[in-house]
Amino acid sequence: MHKFGVLLFLIVIYKGFSQESDFKHINFSRADNIAKTYKSKNLNDLNKITSALTNRLDTDVEKFRAIYIWITHNIANDFRLYSKNNRKRKRFKNDSIKLEKWNSRFKNILFKKLLKRKRTICTGYAYLLKEMCAITGIKSIMVNGSGRTSTMDEEDLAYANHTWNLVKLNNKWYLCDPTWSTGISYPEEGKFIFNYDNGYFLTEPKIFFFNHFPLSKEHSLLAPNTPNFNEFVEMPVLYAKAYTILSDHINPKKMYHEVHKNQEFTFEYLLKKSINLRKVKFIFTNSVSERTVKPLVSLDKNSLTLKHTFKKRGFYDLHFYIGDDIIATYTFKVVK
Amino acid sequence: MKTTKTLTLQKSTFTLLSLFFALFFFSSIAQAQEITVKGIVKGNVETEIEPLMEASVYLKGTNFATTTNKKGEFTFPKKLKKGDILVFSYLGYIKKQIKISEKSTFITVVLKEESIEMLGALNSNKRYKSKRPKQ
Repeated sequence: MHKFGVLLFLIVIYKGFSQESDFKHINFSRADNIAKTYKSKNLNDLNKITSALTNRLDTDVEKFRAIYIWITHNIANDFRLYSKNNRKRKRFKNDSIKLEKWNSRFKNILFKKLLKRKRTICTGYAYLLKEMCAITGIKSIMVNGSGRTSTMDEEDLAYANHTWNLVKLNNKWYLCDPTWSTGISYPEEGKFIFNYDNGYFLTEPKIFFFNHFPLSKEHSLLAPNTPNFNEFVEMPVLYAKAYTILSDHINPKKMYHEVHKNQEFTFEYLLKKSINLRKVKFIFTNSVSERTVKPLVSLDKNSLTLKHTFKKRGFYDLHFYIGDDIIATYTFKVVK
Repeated sequence: MKTTKTLTLQKSTFTLLSLFFALFFFSSIAQAQEITVKGIVKGNVETEIEPLMEASVYLKGTNFATTTNKKGEFTFPKKLKKGDILVFSYLGYIKKQIKISEKSTFITVVLKEESIEMLGALNSNKRYKSKRPKQ
């Protein structure tokens, strides 16, 4: 009986660590090297590019890795195309014929740009990944849905705005987001900066869901427990760094909270890698001021718990930082 | 007299032999049937059909490939034989495979647009800022 208990425990542990950690025994440096040294001016010969990236690698996950790294280091995000598309989609929201016409025209522009200039938007990334996988014999599908970032409000999320991928490796489905792995756009300054983010490579489904709401529920990989759209909108805002540091965000489940003065509030996370606990901090902001507070930090294996007692009444945004990296934002209304 | 006879005999054997060889040669060609494939690739967007420039054309299972010119035309660089499969692809269009037959000296391929919704959300690392909720 005792032995059985240990076995069960081990199985639970094993299930808990899935996704990228499924491939911990594989060293990606060979795939990464091939991907980082291979250059191609355009994408006219996708077969040649794909075979050059994958033919010296043995396993599907390494081949997939090489393709993923190559795309995320070579294809730039085109925010001009993005904003143009966004404007038109919003305008034709209620006119399906015009929307379809625009989509068709835009698709043409977009793929030409991808082929020649290696620039695109989300769907272009997801499509390219899917195609290159198909050439290698790996199954991948595109997932449409709502992608959420800190700058979006509820209205932005109400319709599909983003595309990412599911990929099947060793008979299991995994999630990834090649667009957001590539880097960050600064539309006001008119620039895009390549900055590879491994956090969106074979991400844990639970944490991936915080900013990816798929149009089809089963694509969340959380079935049958996929939260509904309202629950999704109410979730806290997570930033890119959350995905490289956390394997799960456990508590709080929501963004907005009302608490009483002198009430203690608990935040819980699962860590993917070790962090410097002394660098953990909260920054409280409201419309006029900003102050930094050290929460009560405790760590048990990879489970991180932060506690804070609210002393002042008011309405605050609470930002969780590790050093200079912003991880998450919550809002608090502190009442008497 | 004798010499001329041998000469004519030699001549006729020569013609016979060469005829034989020629026959052999042509029949071997007939057997392998090397086909030069030319063609044009077009794309179908909504109701319009227009030539696709730089569409890729490759022999299935090999690295032999070519791309179309400005008018969508191509000449496949390798002579093909009956039963070979050419694959036509262009990003955003559904791939098409065509089996080569003796008649495939000029093929017109129309690729259909893939039906995908084009979406894009920009990644951002900007700190969230609440709008003060209405009380």
